[in-house]
Amino acid sequence: MKKLSYTVALIGGLMSSTAMAQDLEAFRDAVTSGNATWEDIEARAKEEGVVNLYYWGGSDQINIWMDRFATPGLAESGVTLNPVRITGTKDAVDLVLAELGAGKGLGEGSVDAIWVNGENFATLKRQNALFGAFADKLPNSANIEWNAEDPRALLNLRDFGIETNASEMPWSGEQYVCAVNTARVAEDDIPNTFAELKDYLTANPGKFSYVKPPHYIGNTFVQAAVYAHNPDGNGAVPFQSSVDELGAAELARLITPGLEYLKELDGLVLGGASGNARYPEDPSAQDGLFLNGEIDFSCGFGLYRVAVGLRDGTYPEGAAQFVFPEGNMIKNKNYLVIPANAPNPAAALVMTNYMASVAAQASKLEIAGMPPGIDPWLLADDEVAALTEASPGFVGITQAELDANTAPDTNATLVDVIEATWLEYIERDSSDPIEVIVERAVANLK
Amino acid sequence: MSNTHELARLRREKRLMWLQLMPVMIVLVVLFGGALVLGVAQSLGFAPWFGVNTFPDFTYFGALWGGASFWTSLWLTLYYAIVSTVLSLIFGILLALALVRKFPSKTLYKYLYKLPLMIPYTVGIALAVIMLGNGGMLSRLMAFVGLIDDPSQFPQILKTHMGWGIIAVYVWKQTPFVALTIYAVLLGVGRETEEAAAILGANRRQIFFQVTLPQILPGVISSTLIIFAFNIGAFEAPFILGGGFPDTLPVVAWRYFNDADYTLQLQGMATVVSIALIAGGILYSYLAIYRRYERRIGRQ
Repeated sequence: MKKLSYTVALIGGLMSSTAMAQDLEAFRDAVTSGNATWEDIEARAKEEGVVNLYYWGGSDQINIWMDRFATPGLAESGVTLNPVRITGTKDAVDLVLAELGAGKGLGEGSVDAIWVNGENFATLKRQNALFGAFADKLPNSANIEWNAEDPRALLNLRDFGIETNASEMPWSGEQYVCAVNTARVAEDDIPNTFAELKDYLTANPGKFSYVKPPHYIGNTFVQAAVYAHNPDGNGAVPFQSSVDELGAAELARLITPGLEYLKELDGLVLGGASGNARYPEDPSAQDGLFLNGEIDFSCGFGLYRVAVGLRDGTYPEGAAQFVFPEGNMIKNKNYLVIPANAPNPAAALVMTNYMASVAAQASKLEIAGMPPGIDPWLLADDEVAALTEASPGFVGITQAELDANTAPDTNATLVDVIEATWLEYIERDSSDPIEVIVERAVANLK
Repeated sequence: MSNTHELARLRREKRLMWLQLMPVMIVLVVLFGGALVLGVAQSLGFAPWFGVNTFPDFTYFGALWGGASFWTSLWLTLYYAIVSTVLSLIFGILLALALVRKFPSKTLYKYLYKLPLMIPYTVGIALAVIMLGNGGMLSRLMAFVGLIDDPSQFPQILKTHMGWGIIAVYVWKQTPFVALTIYAVLLGVGRETEEAAAILGANRRQIFFQVTLPQILPGVISSTLIIFAFNIGAFEAPFILGGGFPDTLPVVAWRYFNDADYTLQLQGMATVVSIALIAGGILYSYLAIYRRYERRIGRQ
């Protein structure tokens, strides 16, 4: 008798959990096909109550914004934001994939949303770990250009050349820019091209270094060098195709001059003279070297990094931004993605919608110095004014200069190969020719 | 009658023993053993969750051991581990020998030397960065008094392949540990045998090598085992204070795990299994040699 009641309870429990899973899947399908009403989503989000947002927690300013602005802002919709700070975005991606691998589906995982772009998004997409097309179906999706005929929509439709299919919401738009301390370097000596950088380092050996690939900020420097030394002279154009379209031999031909240049630079960067070039592991290590005066230039994403640093006193008074490398300052967006096994999918939708609002974007811009991810040409005049008002401003550089020197990101499939080639050719000092290294890297990635 | 009674008692005792061993056994078998089996399986190509399943596949080990950089990394790992273990051992023995003697303010010193034991490694590493780095206190102080023009001209102690920073942190942290273990053994042994040897005309050298050292050897062996096993597998110090490529093996493994390309995790697992094999082999032979020595001098 007792056994029977256990069995009944067990079956009952299993049935109710399958029913819940089916219910959630029906909800997901309704959202991704555009059939769910916003009221339904909001009501469900209130029931779920919490949203777990995983993001890189290495910036005090972003953390402060999350706690003081995003959390109360989202609380108005009845959703509690649980900001989970991680040291690398890959940790969250790993967690999602591990949980999916353990059979935890929609409603059963622990990650509701991740701040991502590039390779991490490509991994989630390749592993079928995305919630689906939601980003163009929320009220604040109107702030983002989805029309594929408008060339400006490219940054919303493709993330490092990989189609987003609206499975991630654009959150911030960044551009690669360098900082200098004008108290240490004379105006005329500041390099604007790779050739000038090399001249500067020949005169001042060891006074520069860049973040080490495979960190994406290091990859970006390598990509810019590769664009600038493209033997066909058409910069970023060929690097928009995938590795399958381009082929290993053609890719090797295109990147060889750039890597040869970086090889020459290897002997001139920090520690290079003693044969042991030192590349910082991440942007904060690079900033440490820059602030100590060990290196003269600090490059990376962060359009308002210098302005915010000057405001908060973390940057020296003479700090300024400058154009480098001319014509190849890579621009991209970063996004909020909802994984396939989000425990609170409706709350995650409400959260991403909040993050794409003008109010959230303006306070994020002001406090954290993160450029807006929404597209200004779609906004009303007073909304544009609010964003302009919130902007910490540029130091020593203008928006026109930034726009004039923009370059697109490299296709994510090529990034892996270029990164592997850098590690092999520059770091490990391989004696193999670049064609062989590239061919091997392409073969390894399949 | 009494025989069955005896048997029942024995059985009960045996059951109690198993019950007492249970918690430790569960942790060892399930957590440790399970992870070990999974790690070995992954390094041999079993990772269906990444869409890889070529078990058993020795190519990951082949690719790893076939590369010259693996052997450089192994050499660096062993170099940092051995040098810091030997230095800690020498300093630890000297400290323990000093502590059994009487000297002024000994009570205070007995507390003071244990301080590094209570401070975590990460804090020790941070201290090294703050004090010895090129933007650290020493370099700024030297620039301030005018010995060098700029903090960046300070001689490089950290982030070199000589590993001075790594060794400094390990020795700073492990010397008190060795001293503590050996001091406890010395207290248990007492000083009578040393005094007897001195009366019989042995000099200080003879007393140390022929009387004291054999007595403290069990402490020496157990403490070196523990610190060497730690040093060979430790990640933070070589990661933060090391000289970059070529890295020590634990850092190499981390780099594989941290790559956006998931197939490299199997290579990382092969690296981890290699570290375990090498460390296990070294520790096993070390113990075997010691056991042989013990048998030779008649200890059981």
